[in-house]
Amino acid sequence: MHQKPLELILARNLLTSLSTPAFLVDESGTMIFYNEAAGALLGISFEESGRMPAEEWSHAIGPFGDDGSPIPIEQLPTTKALRQGRPAHGGFTVRSMTGDDYEIESTALPIVAEGGQEGAMIFFWTRANNTRGAA
Amino acid sequence: MKLKVWGARGSVPAPGPEMNRYGGNTSCVELELSDGSTLIIDAGTGIRSLGVGIAKRLPKINILLTHLHLDHIQGLMFFAPCFRSESKITIWGPSSPEASLEERISRYISAPLSPVEVRELPCEVNFRDTPPSEWEIGPAKIHAEAVTHRGPTLGYRITDGPTTLTYISDHEPGLGAPLESLEPEWISGYDLARDSHLLIHDCQYTDEEYPEHVGWGHSRLSDTLTFARRVDAQRLLMFHHDPLHSDDFLDRFQESARERWAELGGPDGAVQMAAEAQEIEIGAPVGMGVAS
Repeated sequence: MHQKPLELILARNLLTSLSTPAFLVDESGTMIFYNEAAGALLGISFEESGRMPAEEWSHAIGPFGDDGSPIPIEQLPTTKALRQGRPAHGGFTVRSMTGDDYEIESTALPIVAEGGQEGAMIFFWTRANNTRGAA
Repeated sequence: MKLKVWGARGSVPAPGPEMNRYGGNTSCVELELSDGSTLIIDAGTGIRSLGVGIAKRLPKINILLTHLHLDHIQGLMFFAPCFRSESKITIWGPSSPEASLEERISRYISAPLSPVEVRELPCEVNFRDTPPSEWEIGPAKIHAEAVTHRGPTLGYRITDGPTTLTYISDHEPGLGAPLESLEPEWISGYDLARDSHLLIHDCQYTDEEYPEHVGWGHSRLSDTLTFARRVDAQRLLMFHHDPLHSDDFLDRFQESARERWAELGGPDGAVQMAAEAQEIEIGAPVGMGVAS
């Protein structure tokens, strides 16, 4: 397997050190890392889940709209960050592996290196008293 | 390939009687390739002495710069071939979105820091902005990759025939990363250094000193050794000595490194502190081909 670009290595190192839940995706949208805080929210650690293609993680954890249906991939902050190379923000619901739903706000920041788009960091903020029952 | 160390000190030149054996000059290494040509890596103050010897015999010179911190370029202004009209010098260094390599180096070789400007040098000098990439210089295949340090910084893997040298003089791969357990694809510099016959690597700090310098872009001993073991380097030359580390200190540091290398299962005699004037035949069996 090829070594990751330095920018993604440094991004992972940063996210590892943060208590803010955060994901790291590569330029294809594949989730290639998330930190312990995100693992606590999702109910599964990255070491257990491993990397996940975009379709897989969007199916498993969302995000979902108010009516419970998946949000179209074009509307996700992650997609905007990757395709348009700009920061993007949104609010929606994600589902943990234990079945709990969380209302969150999320900001995606593109990682652009000399060679172009490398991926994005996605930070989450969980709204207070937001845990809803299993959907 | 044959290697000669002209400067192994980091950060700032550290002359003085207590530094004589390992030397006080900053980063510079000379490589003699299989066709007899010369490749220079980094242009710290060590390049001044190197330049005196090669000014007349080598009209074409390639210099690979890892980055543009002063301890890696300070000797350029005093490199004798720069002041000979017969010289054709190509300087390779990391590209940056901020300015070209020539513009960035010109900030040093210009007033008020220098009495001459780059355009006034009598030699022919070409600057090659170098993104992570592969190319050839004579018989050598050069592979450059960005590595963890402060600012744009390259490490180099140089392969000439069956032998491979990796040079990562300024590197902090253990920053926020558990090197002993991390998957190889997530380790800065892994692909560069994998299975090298000789790895020249940053080892500026002891483990006890490191907490005061986390994030400065340099390695502690345990990270250097772990990195070298993870990449299966045959031989490790510890480099970029802290300017406060005297000869006696570095002797003790080397002994400690060898003990810990053995604990990690590394082969005997494979770990050494870099020292000025040291020569190494790369690829020779460990314990041979070294002269200091």
